[in-house]
Parts: sequence; structure tokens; C-alpha cells
Amino acid sequence: MTAGAPAMGRRPTIHWRHLIGVSIPYLLLAPGLIWLFVFFIYPSIEMLRISLSSGSLDTGYSLTFSSDAYVTALQKFPHQFGNSILYSALATTFTFLIGFPVAYTVAFRGGRYKNLLLFLVIAPFFTSFLIRTISWKVLLGDEGPLLAFLKHVVHLVPDGFSILGSPVAVVAGLTYNFLPFMILPLYVALEKIDPRLIEASQDLYATNWGAFRRVTLPLALPGVFAGSMLTFIPAMGDYVNATLLGNPQTQMIGNVIQSRFLVLNDYPVAAALSFILMVGILVLVVVYARALGTEQLTG
Amino acid sequence: MSDGDARMTDVLISRRHFIHGTAAAGVAVFLAACSGGASATSTPGASAAASAAAASAGASPSPSPAPATPKVASGPLKWANWPAYIDLTGQAAANQKYAAGSSPTIVDFEKQYNVKVDYEEKIEENNSFFATIQPQLVTGLPTGWDLIVMTDWMAGRLISLNWLEKIDQENVPNCVANIRDALKSYPWDPNNDYHYPWQSGMTGIGYDSTSLKNAKLPAPTKIADLWTLPSDKVTFLTEARDTFGLALLKLGRPADPTTTTSDDLQAVHDDIAPLVAKGLRFTGNEYLQDFASKKTWAAMVWSGDLANSGSADQHFVFPEEGTMVWSDNMLIPKGAANKYTAELMMNWVYDPKVAAQIANYVYYVSPVKGVEAIVKQLNASSPIPAEKLPLLFPTTDIVAKQHNFESLAADLEKSLNSLYTDLSGA
Repeated sequence: MTAGAPAMGRRPTIHWRHLIGVSIPYLLLAPGLIWLFVFFIYPSIEMLRISLSSGSLDTGYSLTFSSDAYVTALQKFPHQFGNSILYSALATTFTFLIGFPVAYTVAFRGGRYKNLLLFLVIAPFFTSFLIRTISWKVLLGDEGPLLAFLKHVVHLVPDGFSILGSPVAVVAGLTYNFLPFMILPLYVALEKIDPRLIEASQDLYATNWGAFRRVTLPLALPGVFAGSMLTFIPAMGDYVNATLLGNPQTQMIGNVIQSRFLVLNDYPVAAALSFILMVGILVLVVVYARALGTEQLTG
Repeated sequence: MSDGDARMTDVLISRRHFIHGTAAAGVAVFLAACSGGASATSTPGASAAASAAAASAGASPSPSPAPATPKVASGPLKWANWPAYIDLTGQAAANQKYAAGSSPTIVDFEKQYNVKVDYEEKIEENNSFFATIQPQLVTGLPTGWDLIVMTDWMAGRLISLNWLEKIDQENVPNCVANIRDALKSYPWDPNNDYHYPWQSGMTGIGYDSTSLKNAKLPAPTKIADLWTLPSDKVTFLTEARDTFGLALLKLGRPADPTTTTSDDLQAVHDDIAPLVAKGLRFTGNEYLQDFASKKTWAAMVWSGDLANSGSADQHFVFPEEGTMVWSDNMLIPKGAANKYTAELMMNWVYDPKVAAQIANYVYYVSPVKGVEAIVKQLNASSPIPAEKLPLLFPTTDIVAKQHNFESLAADLEKSLNSLYTDLSGA
């Protein structure tokens, strides 16, 4: 009986402590979750709602569960969806082809210049995205450094030739703008590789190419995956490169969304397009992850 | 997401915004072109003295209403305008960005009426600004603005939605007396019940003389010439009203909101489509950069830009078929807290000497009569080149061939926008 009283008093305390113990992980997660909710989940729901609404900006939009916007979005813009997929796939491939040797060199041959080299990779990105893209207009201009040289010095191309306003310019712009997003994850993955593993493979009579193909590349896969995601996803939605470097035939789906939102004030179709783009990217990412093998990526 | 939004606003370079943006590059040219004007606006005292001297030349009523009026100015007057669209002095002029106390027009107004003015360069695009005030207006709440500046078609839209306060004409005697005749009697507000123009501009043809000379092509004199030049060296405007308006004139069809039909617009679409297939592009003010990089040889352009950027190679042509004309208009949104003060401001800027001070800085077409003489006087030491004068002060034969294709009926606007987006690929 005498022991009962303190125990009675203590029991809720233990319960309270237990509660705190259980909730700490959630409390620590809270900022991230709130962020995710405010900036991703809520906007997504709102976007879905608007895509199923009808009306005009003047009178306001009301939820009517009409699928018209989706029908328009899917029927009218196959060309622009195609451009987006093609250009961002090309840009991702090129960033990989350019970025891998860079990341490899920095990781394995960088030595004491590693940090400097990494800084140089990022240095141009201290300038605004827009300014960098506009400067491509100068570089690729009809009388810009590249074409002026080809036209007037080596006479390789005819006088009226231009690159701006073509798919080449758009893909070049995308490749340039997203290059660091490929290089940095690749570098992180390559940097982690223990050089002794490569030595070991060579001890086992692997050729240089064999060691690269069977040891280095598989170990770098998480970096390849992260890099291509970081490049492909934003490139899919990008419209700045197509606006500034392309012409009406090279417009991407981002341009359509932009013009629906800001020029036509057609929010439902714009929201439907954004939603389709999001789902489409998700599907492509899942397929890609399966193809690369997800278990290797978590390792 | 926020990064994307920032890019979104960045890339939408409006015609006025462009002037703001290229100011760094163009400021030297601009200063050279009107050094007299620049020195006059750089010191408020000098400018005030100049306008005081000029006041005797102007035959206009006094800017201030009779002091006996029972109405009192209240503030702060909340005024939203486009960037680089009012006279600035000192550091603000160098930065091409308004700062409190940097605009003689506003400072003098504040002194005159003892009221504060919150002037903000908040409007970069009609549609995007509209989107910021639409939620309040649709629910009948005040927008927080007393005075806004919107292009003709958006002004017409706000009027038809009944989202503007009616101007008390008794409070704006200067506007009534001094508005240029060419800007009167627009069908969407024939009696100026809701709007008075802030500045106007024209849309015509620009070309780069060196590029054309190198390609041994003649300089364009009419809109139809743009169809014969290599299409990948030509740009049209992203403002569908301007592009379709000029193309309507080229086809000899009316560019008139009251008589143009969707069939006319379809004809324009079919006329432009082959050019798009051959590489025609649509741009905002970026055409100036494209001119500079020799990417564009000829284009549909806005007069204000050509007046501002003074590159010797670039010329503005008033096409034989005519030009498009547009205005940005002062409007008072419904529920404005300081409506009377907003009217006082409208009246103030329609005083020719104030209007001249603004025109001499922003280089668009002033809607106010009697400004030309004062601006010429302000620039007496280094006159504006004769080639540029009609851009600021269009002659009567130019005015006779101006078409306003701005405020369209809802269905016509819809078909215009969808035909344009089809051409532009988005």
C-alpha cells in the first residue's frame, strides 16, 4: 500500500516521457514535413483542383470536375511534349558525356587542385540563369565568335547559316545550363570509390577498360542516376532556353504552360499540363530507376 | 518553385521593362542623344526653372483646381506604374529605378498638395498585374491601389467588368482641355469616363541598315516587305495585337476592333504560318539584341525603343500601310481609398509643363497637347535629331494612318490569342 502511492504518481510521468521519446523523430521531421506540405502537397492539390475547374480569370474558376482541360492538354500539344522529351533526353546524354570525364578527372586526378576545379565547375553559376542563357545568343549569334570564325575564316558554312532559332541551340543551352547538376553528383559518387578496388581488379588481370566497366562505372551508378534526374527533370519543364534560343517550332511543354498561364490566362489547361508533366516525369523516373536497378542506387 | 517564378518574371521582358533593362547599355547613347534634356532633369531646380519659363508658352488652365474646393487631398496615394516610365533625377536616374524623392513630377505634386505619394514600379505585364488585383476586385474589396496604368485592351476589359471608379471630370480640367485629339473617343471609353492616357507608342517596322546592305536587300518601306525578306532574319512581336494588327493592314483588311472579324484573323494566321515554317520568330524587346547581334535584319518594333536606343544602324519606318498605336492609361480601381487625390494626379500630369518633363525623360509619345514646344525648349542646347522627332511627336499624316487594335470583344480576343499561340508554337 505504501509503495502504491508514489507509483501512482509516477505512472503518468513515465507515460509522458515515453510520449516525448516517441514524438522526437516526428518533431525533428516536422520542419521538412511542413515545408513539403506548404510548398508541394498543397500546391499540387490546388493545381489538381484548378485543372478540374472551369471559368475565366475575370469571373473566377469553379470546381466542375470537367475533364476538358485534360483533353485539350493531351490533344493539342503532342509536338511540344515530344520536343521536351527529346531535348531533355539529349541534354541529359550530353551532360553525361561531357560531365563524366570532368568528374572523373577531378575525383581521381584532381589532387590538391580538387577544390579549385570544383569551384571552377560552379563558378559560372554565380551569374543569373537568364544572363547565362542570353550570353549563348551572343556566342551562337550569326556574327558571334563561333559562326564568324566558321563563315569568314575557314569558310566552312555559308553566309546565311545560323544556329540560333534551331533545336541545336536549344539543346546546347540546356546542356550548358544543367551541366553542374550532372558533374557534382558524379563527382561525389566517383570520389567515394576506393582506388584499391581498381588496383585489385587490375591484379586480377582486368584491363584498364575492363576495370572501368566492371568496377568504376557500376560504383558510380548512384551518381549517374542522381545526375540524370537532376538534369532531366528540370530540363523537361524548362522554357527559358526554348524561348531565348529557339523558334516557334522548337517550343517545349514549359513554353505552353507559361503561355497558358500568363498570356491566355487559361489556368485549367495550364494546370492540367503541369499535372500531366509531373505524372509523366514520375513514370519516366520509375522506369529509369528500374532499368538501372534500384538496389544499386541505395548502396 | 520560387526560382522558377523568378525566371518567369525575368523572361517576360515587356517593352517598357526592356528600356529599364538595357538602360545600362543604352544610357550613354541616351545621354548623348538628349544631353540637354539629361542635364535639365538631373537637377530638379533647373528643370523646375525650365518648366516655369516654358509655362508662359503653354496655353493651359492652371494645374491646381480652385483653392475654394471643399475636396481635400488624402494620402498616401498608392500608384502602380511600369518601370522606367516616369522622370527621374540623380542616383535613381542612373539606376533607372524609382526611389522616393527621385521624381520631380512626384516631389512637386507632394509639395503642391501636401500629400504623400507611394509610387511603385509594380507593373511588368498587363496580365500578370491583372492577376494580382483580380481576386480583390471580383469579391468587391479594395485593391490597395489608387492609380494604376494599364494598356488600352486591359483598360477596356476593366471597364467592361465595371472594376474602375468613374472619373469626376470637374476635378481634371487639364485632362479635359489638353488630351490630344487622336486619343479621344475610343469606343471602349468614348468620353474618358474611366481613363486618361499616360503615354502612347506606335508599332511599325525597324531594320538594321548594315545587315540589309551586306545582303544587298532594299530597306523595307511597307509591312508587306517583311514577307519578302528571309524569314529567319525577321521577327514579329509577341504582343499578338501588334503583330496581327500590322498583318491586317498588310492584307488590306481593317485593323479595327469594331469591324475586324475572326475570318480576318484567320486570314492573317494563314498568311503568317508559311513564314513560321521558314524560321520566323516572335520576340518582345529582345529584337534590339537580335539587331545588335545581326540575327535579325528587320522586325516589327515599338517606337519608344527605337527612340531610346540610338544605334546608328537601326531605323524605324512608318510603313506605307500605317502603324498601330497604343496607350497605357491611368485608371482608378474600384474602391480606391484616395480617389480624389488620384484625380488630382491625373490633372497634374496633364499640365503641359509637367507632361513635357515626363516626355523628355521617358521618350514615348505624350498624350498631352502643347508638350512639343516645351520639350524642344528643354533640349534647345542639343536638339533631338530630326529622324527621331516623329517618334515623340508624330506628324498629322502619321496620325492619320494610326490604328488602335487594342480593346477587342471577348470572342475576337479569344480567337486572336489562340491563333497567335498556334503560330508561336506554345
